[in-house]
Amino acid sequence: MRRLRVEEKIVVMKLTINGRKVTVEKGATVLDAAESAGVNVPTLCHLKGSAGFTSCGVCVVKEQVSGRLLPSCTAPAAEGMVIETDSEEVKHARRNTLDLLLSEHVGDCEAPCRLTCPAHMNIPKMIRQIAAGRMREAVETVKEHIALPAVLGRICPAPCEKACRRSRYDASLAICLLKRFAADADISSKEEYLPVCRPDSGRKVAVVGAGPAGLSAAYYLALAGHACTVFDDRDEPGGQLRYGVPENILPRSVLESEIETIKKLCVVFRMKTRIGRDLTVAGLKKDFDAIVLAPGKIDTSASTDWGVEVVEQRIKADEHSFLTSDGKIFSGGEAVQPGHLAVRAVGHGRSMAVAIDQYFNGLKVTGSHRLFESRMGKLLEPEIFELMKETDISAGIEPAGGASAGFQIDEAVRESRRCMHCDCRKSDDCRLRDYAGEYAASQKRFHVEGRKSFERIVTHSNVIFEPGKCIKCGICVRITERAHEKLGLTFIGRGFDTTVGVPFNESLGAGLQETAEKCVSHCPTGALAFK
Amino acid sequence: MDATEKKGTETIDLSVVDAAVAEHGRAVSSVIPILQKLQQHYRYLPEAALRRVCEMTEITPALIAGVSTFYSQFRHKPMGRHLISICHGTACHVKGSELIHDALVRHLKLKEGEDTGAGGVFTLEKVACLGCCTLAPVIKIDGVTYGHLTPDTVSRAIRDFLELEKRRVVPRHHDQLPSSVEGLTEIRIGVGSCCVAGGSQKVRQELENEARKLGAAAVIKPVGCVGMCHQTPLVQIVAPGGEPVTYAKVKEEDAAQIVRRHFKPSGIVRRIRTGLSVAIEQLLTDETWEPVNRYVLDVRDAPVCAFLGRQERIASEWCGNLDPLDIDEYIANGGFTAMQKCLEAGRPEEVIDVITRSGLRGRGGAGFPAGRKWALVRGAEGSPKYIICNGDEGDPGAFMDRMLLESFPYRVLEGMIIAAHAVGAREGFLYIRAEYPLALQRIREAISRMAARGFLGDNTGGSGFGLKLAIVEGAGAFVSGEETALLAAIEGRRSMPRFRPPYPAESGLWGKPTNINNVETYALVPWIMRKGSGAFAAMGTASSKGTKVFSLAGKVRRGGLIEVPMGITIREIVEEIGGGTAGDKKFKAVQIGGPSGGCIPAKLADTIVDYEALEAAGCIMGSGGMVVLDESDCMVDIARYFMTFTQRESCGKCTHCRIGTKRMLEILDRLCDGRGEKGDIERLEHLGVTTKAGSLCGLGRTAPNPVLSTIRHFRDEYEAHIEGRCPAGKCRPLISYHINEKCIGCTRCAQACPADAIDLVPYQKHEIKQDKCTKCDTCRQVCPSGAVDVMNKM
Repeated sequence: MRRLRVEEKIVVMKLTINGRKVTVEKGATVLDAAESAGVNVPTLCHLKGSAGFTSCGVCVVKEQVSGRLLPSCTAPAAEGMVIETDSEEVKHARRNTLDLLLSEHVGDCEAPCRLTCPAHMNIPKMIRQIAAGRMREAVETVKEHIALPAVLGRICPAPCEKACRRSRYDASLAICLLKRFAADADISSKEEYLPVCRPDSGRKVAVVGAGPAGLSAAYYLALAGHACTVFDDRDEPGGQLRYGVPENILPRSVLESEIETIKKLCVVFRMKTRIGRDLTVAGLKKDFDAIVLAPGKIDTSASTDWGVEVVEQRIKADEHSFLTSDGKIFSGGEAVQPGHLAVRAVGHGRSMAVAIDQYFNGLKVTGSHRLFESRMGKLLEPEIFELMKETDISAGIEPAGGASAGFQIDEAVRESRRCMHCDCRKSDDCRLRDYAGEYAASQKRFHVEGRKSFERIVTHSNVIFEPGKCIKCGICVRITERAHEKLGLTFIGRGFDTTVGVPFNESLGAGLQETAEKCVSHCPTGALAFK
Repeated sequence: MDATEKKGTETIDLSVVDAAVAEHGRAVSSVIPILQKLQQHYRYLPEAALRRVCEMTEITPALIAGVSTFYSQFRHKPMGRHLISICHGTACHVKGSELIHDALVRHLKLKEGEDTGAGGVFTLEKVACLGCCTLAPVIKIDGVTYGHLTPDTVSRAIRDFLELEKRRVVPRHHDQLPSSVEGLTEIRIGVGSCCVAGGSQKVRQELENEARKLGAAAVIKPVGCVGMCHQTPLVQIVAPGGEPVTYAKVKEEDAAQIVRRHFKPSGIVRRIRTGLSVAIEQLLTDETWEPVNRYVLDVRDAPVCAFLGRQERIASEWCGNLDPLDIDEYIANGGFTAMQKCLEAGRPEEVIDVITRSGLRGRGGAGFPAGRKWALVRGAEGSPKYIICNGDEGDPGAFMDRMLLESFPYRVLEGMIIAAHAVGAREGFLYIRAEYPLALQRIREAISRMAARGFLGDNTGGSGFGLKLAIVEGAGAFVSGEETALLAAIEGRRSMPRFRPPYPAESGLWGKPTNINNVETYALVPWIMRKGSGAFAAMGTASSKGTKVFSLAGKVRRGGLIEVPMGITIREIVEEIGGGTAGDKKFKAVQIGGPSGGCIPAKLADTIVDYEALEAAGCIMGSGGMVVLDESDCMVDIARYFMTFTQRESCGKCTHCRIGTKRMLEILDRLCDGRGEKGDIERLEHLGVTTKAGSLCGLGRTAPNPVLSTIRHFRDEYEAHIEGRCPAGKCRPLISYHINEKCIGCTRCAQACPADAIDLVPYQKHEIKQDKCTKCDTCRQVCPSGAVDVMNKM
């Protein structure tokens, strides 16, 4: 049989994306055209390789010739289209869409413990790691935000525990003791955790004050590759930690150990050195590229030597960038915000390091990047019980040796299992959160009186499903359908009350037999996550 | 696998499932008809039955779960023995359907979240629209419709139904139709849904009994809708060569007298017997024999003249004269001549040309030029091509398509054949909503009779062209009226729209070119082909040609179905045809276009009926629902009513419709509840604009229209609500009822009050207990001395 060869004519179209001309084949969508022009368009409900679903509305772009706003994931590209993907109008439209999605989003990106912690430590992650026995990872998590965890684990008043939702059921998690456990375990381990510093940037920073703020700033600056010299007029570093807190509460050996770690990062200490007597700020400004001013509680006499604005015995510094009236001097800690809260000083230290790093890299000095936070607010009792579904119901664990002795490993693991994990387990991998931050969306744009109830489905061995976070994008429905799952996931109901679920109310495990990993990784929010 | 399955204490007979699958097939597209069969048998969808379907077909659990939970028709919990459907259409709403609902909840003692009363006797469900708008407020109990209800007559209706059940009175079928014979007098009785709901079945039975008794030389002829729904049931006596005499609002007990008035009993024996029985009747009845005169409607009567006068009948040509299913009568009156002309002589391009030049625009609401659509389908690549009739008239308050399908099925089908031939489609579907059982029945029968005559099938009348039509029953989703959602439903999926382009003309049913038009559009086609494009284009305005069928309902004296030329003003429709507002309240506005439309305030009543003119006024033509509102209607409440409807019917696919309409509804709920806040109007406007811009389909894009339209024309009412006042005295949380000094102590209010809020104190001034008062308005309606005041709390 003779084989016939058919000549296929490929139709192409020329269109303009953000002023750039592109050529695409007939059948391509506007999104395809944007991609070929190297232009990034946000999407939530789009499943690559699949036809557009046109659900979320985030991929909207403006077509100038017709004046229409088009969903780029589905709109066919046509000859002569002039597409704008990033104009104010388009951004405004995306923001409106995100506002709507967030208005019914039932979930906390971060748990209240983390939001309350002045140092923004990732408490739930640390707890999950302790519960899994991954102690090394736990201390790494802690040290991402807290440079002196063993110290704080003994003296911190733990505002995080006041916010812990577990207290609505019985008693809060002993977060402070858990952190102390992670830090102590590291100190007494054969190989203490020492983070890898970035290569030497060539920049030098003078840190005035070896108290918690200064020590923390030095730690994080060193990690960023900037050489630090810490000046303090006392004999030994530590500030109030050494000279204010009694030894029976904070053993000097613990303090020494953590300061030793900072020294291992090549931070130089010049003790018994006083600004105004031995050195001047002007001199520091000549020899260093930036100054951290963390002298602790100040008296009016010394302040004039620093050359920064002081108001009512407080150094005036911006709350985000920590910049003072002098563009090279950053200030934080007790001198800026009195309160004898070491954990806040430690937080300031890190934030100042971030700000100085931005300053050195020529970026806008805005301080720590604040991500978008979705908040459920106060949970109702049934929701607390919902969270308790997969949580250990044991009462709070008391350390056998008393509070001052800290947790033994088994006690720590048992205590960590009491955490309800009311944070989102995908908060660092959530497109909705990313776009919400990027487009400055607001969860509170609409006065919603009764939000939907928090729900958590735990009937899969390692996936949790929180329907309150679902944006009905249908990605998981399409994935399970394409993979011919026996049950899979499907849309249930209609309209506002539509939910995603397993047919016949079967377990999530029965629904996701082959496609759990794919569904979790493609879910654009934290609705589907690994435990 | 065993053909039975235990479910709790019940054993489900699964052979029903197997039979349904055998009948409808194993393909995915059969899912909805199979589910409908199951629901019909089990009265809900047992899980065991659904699982069985998955075993026996290609339908997956995911699909069946998705589809069976999408459509309102399907229940997953057992139902009570009887189903009470309360209509929440627009007309019913303005006539107080919420109060009827409350009364039913009270009567059935339903608790929060329950829909079935104790003992499992009655299940109560809300339905979007039963299409009997002129009888508002309406409920349907199983197959029986009750209209003109008030909160205190609800229990009477339920009692009546239970009585009927006991007596096993089954309404007569329309199928046994006597053929008309020369020389006999025709006794015509309307058998449209409104007539039936008004009791025309019982009247017909009485007419037949009496005619038989007298041996009258008459034939009882059921006729399609006359449109004078405000006068149903209608009976017309047409003697050969004589003037037709019309009787309106005929009751069962009067039927016999009407027959006797026109026919003398044949034979002396009969005459004596009749005379005697009449005499006995007169002796035994207390009431004096009232002349039947008062029911006679002379077509020359001013009100009837006014109602019928301005109308032009094209889609509803021969209305009131034709037996809906008499195919020979249809042929005798010019039926199928247009079709024959097109199939034999005309080339498809010529037909399309005529339609284009006539200016016919789609009557479903969007108003797209029909000729252009047909040309697009004709020119599209792909085979086979399909033709679809959109009979999913979901607008609450609209019942035009129902009327056309019930009363003129052949006309609609003729139009479809002409269109199918023009576009090149040989297969088609009529998608008709399940809430129209009579329409479904008539169309099914009409198709079967046409097939028997060779008009449908492989070869229509030997022309070489053939069209096969099937009926698809809707399963309860307003969004199915959107063309791409409709396609999804036929394909057996959740009825969720998709983005256009591509349009169905290019890629429709199963990706093939498909022509979708509304019922009314097809119904106009035969007349245009018979009389020519010029005749149609001669009517109407420059951009809106021909006629439009409207369903006029609400606070109007003469409601019903009317067909008027485009270009007529709203005022002419409401005042001349409709007779103005019923009662003493002033005309306030007309809501046109249903949940996608807007309000035309009285001051703009000279706006003409024209696609563009209505759009400029903030309204849309829509499918033809027109609800008249008076000063006792609250515009914020009307906006909330429509938003409630669209929110409930949203398919949920796109963010802006799913969530945007909900956020809008929350604001409207607060306003009507007295919890309005400063800035609410601006919030509604902002949300309205973004929802319109961002929604995927027409439902979401037009959902904000009633809100934006009422804000535009009645902003002051919104502002009053923010201050906690309802100027119209409608929103119950904002008003209170009080008895004033005019009270004469007649105790009528206390007797009528369904909530026990008034103590019975003869000859004394009565008091309304505020904590018990449900503001159902009954006391004010029964009070003879105007002693009940409705006041704003603020």
